[in-house]
Amino acid sequence: MMDRNKQYIADLKTYVIAVLLLAGFALWVKRMDIGSDWQQAGMTTFSLGFVLLSAYLVAQILKITGLPLISGYIFVGILAGPFITGFLNNEMVLRLRLVDDLALSFIALVAGGSLRKTFLLSRGRAIVVNILLLSLVVFVMVGLSFYFITIRLRLIPELSSSQITVLAVLLGVIAIARSPSSAIAIIEECRAEGMFSATVLGVTVALDVLIIIFFTMALTVSKIIMGQGMPVDFQAFGILSSAVAGSLALGILFGKGISLYIEKVKHDLPLFLLFFAFSVFKISLFLNAFMETRFAVSLQLEPLLICISAGFTVQNFSRYGPVFMENLERFALPIFVLFFSLAGASLNLDALRTTWPLALFLVMVRIVGIFGSTWLAGVISGDPKPHRRIAWMAYITQAGVAIGLAQLAQRRFPELGVYLTTLVLAVITINQVAGPITFKMALRLAGEIGGKNGISQEPS
Amino acid sequence: MKIIFALFIILLLVFSGYHLTFRRFRLLVFARRFYLTGTEFLFLGLLLGPQFLNILDVDAQKGLAPCAALVLGWIGLIYGFQFEIKKLRRLPLDFFLAASLEGLVTLTLVFIGVYMAMIHYFAISHSLAMVVAITLGAAAGCTAQTALAFLPADVAGRRPDTTRLLRFISSIDGMFPLLIFGLCFSFNPSVEMDGSLLGGFGQGILSSLVAGLGLLFLFALFISHRRLKKDLILIVIGMTLLASGLALVLRFSPLLINFFVGFWLVNLSLDKERIYQILMTVEKPTYLLLLVFLGVHLSFDAPGLLFIGIAYCLYRVLGKTVAGFVVTRLNPNLQQYPALLGFGLLAQGGLSLAILLDFQLTFHCPVSTRVISIAVIAVICNEFLSPYFLERMLKTTK
Repeated sequence: MMDRNKQYIADLKTYVIAVLLLAGFALWVKRMDIGSDWQQAGMTTFSLGFVLLSAYLVAQILKITGLPLISGYIFVGILAGPFITGFLNNEMVLRLRLVDDLALSFIALVAGGSLRKTFLLSRGRAIVVNILLLSLVVFVMVGLSFYFITIRLRLIPELSSSQITVLAVLLGVIAIARSPSSAIAIIEECRAEGMFSATVLGVTVALDVLIIIFFTMALTVSKIIMGQGMPVDFQAFGILSSAVAGSLALGILFGKGISLYIEKVKHDLPLFLLFFAFSVFKISLFLNAFMETRFAVSLQLEPLLICISAGFTVQNFSRYGPVFMENLERFALPIFVLFFSLAGASLNLDALRTTWPLALFLVMVRIVGIFGSTWLAGVISGDPKPHRRIAWMAYITQAGVAIGLAQLAQRRFPELGVYLTTLVLAVITINQVAGPITFKMALRLAGEIGGKNGISQEPS
Repeated sequence: MKIIFALFIILLLVFSGYHLTFRRFRLLVFARRFYLTGTEFLFLGLLLGPQFLNILDVDAQKGLAPCAALVLGWIGLIYGFQFEIKKLRRLPLDFFLAASLEGLVTLTLVFIGVYMAMIHYFAISHSLAMVVAITLGAAAGCTAQTALAFLPADVAGRRPDTTRLLRFISSIDGMFPLLIFGLCFSFNPSVEMDGSLLGGFGQGILSSLVAGLGLLFLFALFISHRRLKKDLILIVIGMTLLASGLALVLRFSPLLINFFVGFWLVNLSLDKERIYQILMTVEKPTYLLLLVFLGVHLSFDAPGLLFIGIAYCLYRVLGKTVAGFVVTRLNPNLQQYPALLGFGLLAQGGLSLAILLDFQLTFHCPVSTRVISIAVIAVICNEFLSPYFLERMLKTTK
């Protein structure tokens, strides 16, 4: 024990010195006179390297204290971001969006590959019950609480009652959204394997698909409340169903393609997968825009669904699942680090500063809703008692999907946009900071850390 | 959107091209040589660039500049790894001296020729002429192993000692040219409209030195413990990005700063094998990306460029021939090797191209585009000439 403590202290010294050195470099570079385009490019390159290394170091320091690595990455992102030190300003964060897109597809591939058919089948009932209860209870609790507190305390007097109802519906549905990327990152970090983590992953990934449908329904209901649309927009549901089915089918096709590549070519699989992830995301977006503008056809391919489906196909319908996952893992760390650091830099602290009491209230209500639904789902599915008590801790994290939904809603209801986006950003900031910590605690309490290959990367 | 598509097309072609170029691909001998050296990727870059399709327009190039910096940094790191003193010492010191002298003599000859030509025939400032001459001299001094790689086994077997010497020289003779090229950056350069260079030698040297030492110390901290492979991948990528970015901000060469880091790592790090393995995982695609990025900057708007390029190529052949002669005749221990040793050192590969890209990106001005176009013509000519001259040298000498 003494030796281990000595080792920790030595590691800590190394990490702290390295962080200070990096900070010194950052300060130096920030004071430079940046003139030419080439120097601008240098600034972007330097920032990428700086974020990657400092996030890694800070995460290692936090790991000693038992916090999850992604909390460290997010923390560095917040510190380096536009609201604290401003090392990564808004323009820089936007310029690095390319990395974000690549990371999201890559994480979706990992998500699909982590879902095992046999396990899903055996836990199917529990997953379905969890999804049903989480969607229903969280939506109702967050929506109603927001409605009543806003009306009772006259928090937004400039909005009419129907507008507050719409805001409550949209906030309720956005509260259902989870962060599959965070879930996967923590499960990967802890090498967790078992009933608990598989159920959480299954529920989180499935909700990521379903949230798009729920959100479309909420938009339709909102339009009815605001008196803008037909009672039921069947066309929207038709497009949505075909988009989901098309994306899943395309993913299966790509999954088969990846399996064929592994079988026939074998070389440079990590590079191939990186290229695949990047191109799927970009081509989907391009095709959607192209079909919309040129042929007025709403294609709406979902790159994340395509990648999840592709990963799932390789894992469950070919012999190459383990090779596939092993190669994904090889480049996973830099991608996770950059993704979560940039996510941290994108968190809007200004929004939190202005709305923190209401945001905190919504976070608490959401947690209560999650606790109630997961506990009930555990009882119905016959899960072990300890799992019922801790399951809520695994579903708190929220990230990009929720922000994306808020932005979509803002476009549809511009008069509500400011309130919605500000509140959602504030709630996500709290959830994204607290969620990974509670999830890791839950995995530890469930005894599933280090389950995969029997290796724990935790400092025990 | 254009940047994204440009990157997508580049990655697609580089990836598929890498498999065609470096894996099992059979073509006629002439065409194969063209493909195996990856030369087609220069033309791909040219096609994508502003001269033709304009997919990689000025904005897209700006967006992809960090990627270009990373490519340069990665190549610098790989080149630094060639200089493991423990391994170099296994070979005779004469070999090392020969390689150094050969690179220096070629650089000097080409530098003098180019500088004189620039001053007499082109209306550019002395300082810019100096930088151009150093760049072309440095690019001329480097040798690639492509010709040796294509050499039929029976021909190579005739003079195994010579082949061994050629292999050694071509792997390290770029060191002094690269270091001398780095001096251009020590002027802390920025090219003005009139082509003159601004900056201060002292400040440039000092800031580069401080940055270099700081980076080495940081890398040392990172690898002071044995890391998991995935952690090491992150550290190598992160450090290359950091070093390349810092070099660019300081107006220094990402190629050179990473060369120093690589040199230090290979000689002092216990993890050198694992780091080298990581670097080599993407070595080939990196070189092909380099070719594409360089191809984008080519411009053949002036009709005389082709002839100047051929003239530069022939002048380089002369420089290499003289350098080979000097090396083998000056040192009594090397007199057993053919006097026309320079004929075996004509191939001009990755490091030369990296120097050219580094020059183009840092000293970007109307002259720089023409300079690299000339140099690239010479590189292509050399790729075709080198196997012929090498075989001839090995067959005809006793």
